[in-house]
Amino acid sequence: MDVLITLLLVAVLFAFLGSGVWIGLALSGVAWISMALFSARPAGDAMAVTIWGASSSWTLTALPLFVWMGEILFRTRLSEDMFKGLAPWLENVPGRLLHTNVIGCAIFAAVSGSSAATCATIGKMTIPELTRRGYPEDKVIGTLAGAGTLGLLIPPSIIMIVYGVSANVSIAQLFIAGIIPGIMLAALFSGYIVVWALANPGAIPPATETLSFKEKLYRSRHLLQVGLLIVLVLGAVYSPWVTPTEAAAVGVLGALVLSAAQGSLNRSTFMDSLMGATRLFCMIALILSGAQFLTLAMGYLGLPRHLAEWIGSLGLSNVMLIVVLTVFYIVLGCFLDGISMVVLTMGVIMPTVEKAGIDLIWFGIFIVLVVEMAQITPPVGFNLFVLQGMTNKQVPWIAKVTLPMFFLIVAALALVYAFPDLVLWLPRSMKGAG
Amino acid sequence: MRGFLDRLYSAAGYAAAFFMVATLLMVVAGIADRALALGWRGTDMYAGYAMAACGFLALAHTFKRGEHIRVSLLLQAASPRIKRLLELWSLFAAGVLAGAMAFYAVKLTYQSWDFHDVSTGNDATPLWIPQIGMAVGAIVLFIALLDDLILEIRGKRVVHSSGEMLRNE
Repeated sequence: MDVLITLLLVAVLFAFLGSGVWIGLALSGVAWISMALFSARPAGDAMAVTIWGASSSWTLTALPLFVWMGEILFRTRLSEDMFKGLAPWLENVPGRLLHTNVIGCAIFAAVSGSSAATCATIGKMTIPELTRRGYPEDKVIGTLAGAGTLGLLIPPSIIMIVYGVSANVSIAQLFIAGIIPGIMLAALFSGYIVVWALANPGAIPPATETLSFKEKLYRSRHLLQVGLLIVLVLGAVYSPWVTPTEAAAVGVLGALVLSAAQGSLNRSTFMDSLMGATRLFCMIALILSGAQFLTLAMGYLGLPRHLAEWIGSLGLSNVMLIVVLTVFYIVLGCFLDGISMVVLTMGVIMPTVEKAGIDLIWFGIFIVLVVEMAQITPPVGFNLFVLQGMTNKQVPWIAKVTLPMFFLIVAALALVYAFPDLVLWLPRSMKGAG
Repeated sequence: MRGFLDRLYSAAGYAAAFFMVATLLMVVAGIADRALALGWRGTDMYAGYAMAACGFLALAHTFKRGEHIRVSLLLQAASPRIKRLLELWSLFAAGVLAGAMAFYAVKLTYQSWDFHDVSTGNDATPLWIPQIGMAVGAIVLFIALLDDLILEIRGKRVVHSSGEMLRNE
């Protein structure tokens, strides 16, 4: 009976989603059907109360504000400045300016919560600059699509807020936990570029200018602004005066000041960023509320509990469980965006994860890594869409050149599994100190 | 009629943007309150209410700009005839759900008012006041979906595709 109900609901969900019903509403629809059929509680009233509770909870206020901050920074000269500051240092590394993609994304990720925004902001500068200098197009776009995903892993991170709220895990702890895996993944991307450049001498155009150390240092002044913003936001996340939720407000104010200092702040860019952020947040909020309602409905059915018991009865080892979940999320990530993927599955999978004794902070980083893969797997992958819009290449081609990065993220996942302290050491020691 | 509806969606969108700013100001007020011991109460709850108003009021505007995401694989692959059927179905299903959401949001707001339901936080706000934002936003979304369904039936619907939505996460 249970299996039948589950299959029925999954089928209804896919029918809704596949036929093009907007994701947030599709989730509500499935929740409604399951509540109406299988529970005595009036579905409509439950929906209104759940949606109200989910969308007015103050823990979520960081979400719209980080979205807004990203929209403001996208409209500044920040990416241009970062390129100017980074390029002189990278001209002599094997792979040369290709590293501006990786390091640029890693730095911008520390002020941005989103992968697609990171990809778009850094790519705005590196794609034209690198193509003009004759860098191989496939590597320029492939490394950018991959490195953009660092926006999710390096705090602040929108997906971590979503996970933290759905799984009831401390967002500050998640932010700290993402730092080392984020740096590690950036190192993997850069390492790949170095190895590739050494294996293919001549594929990378020669350096355009040689600068003395002093000149390089002087050029680095362009990095000062983004550096200050990082210090401000991360400082706020970990400071005793401001809660991590409130750090987002500090970030918005910082971004506005930076934008004003650069002279890019005026009435029209302000309104553009505000309206853009409002719409993006609204889109996310609709999905989140639908998912909350669906989670409630699933709870009434006892589905998560049954799933946990069923998986428990299989006697899978934790390795097997993680492998199965990874494959499941990769498949799901081909068709869904990251946020929908997390909110859709969290209510169902959490009991299983808890039962298996997996640390919820560690699992949060696991989720972020699989969402990163989802960003670059076709047919639905937001970084691919962004780059399609920016380069006029087709999604299959972009996905193909990004494939090495996909395997690097898989490798990062394996490393994080083999050495859980990569994730857990920093939160633990911060906790001990605080 | 067309002009009125478009103005309605934009007005709700601008109201949402206002509440985005209000969310920021409320969070900043919370920080200031803690730093300076101003004795303001409930700023965190107000930030939550402003955020809810922002999210709901923007629904129709976001929908009209084509920025609510959907799985468009089938839509893109389908023949024009099938595509039209899928669009009609999607708009119909979404319309029914938005209608239900609007109805129950209004009902919840009315009940909060009727039962003098008060926030459990230390702001003690009567809940029907912030819930008005949810009710109004849901109603406007319902109108927008109905509007698009009718336009689609008459073959006059224009779907906006915007680059904006691509930077969403």
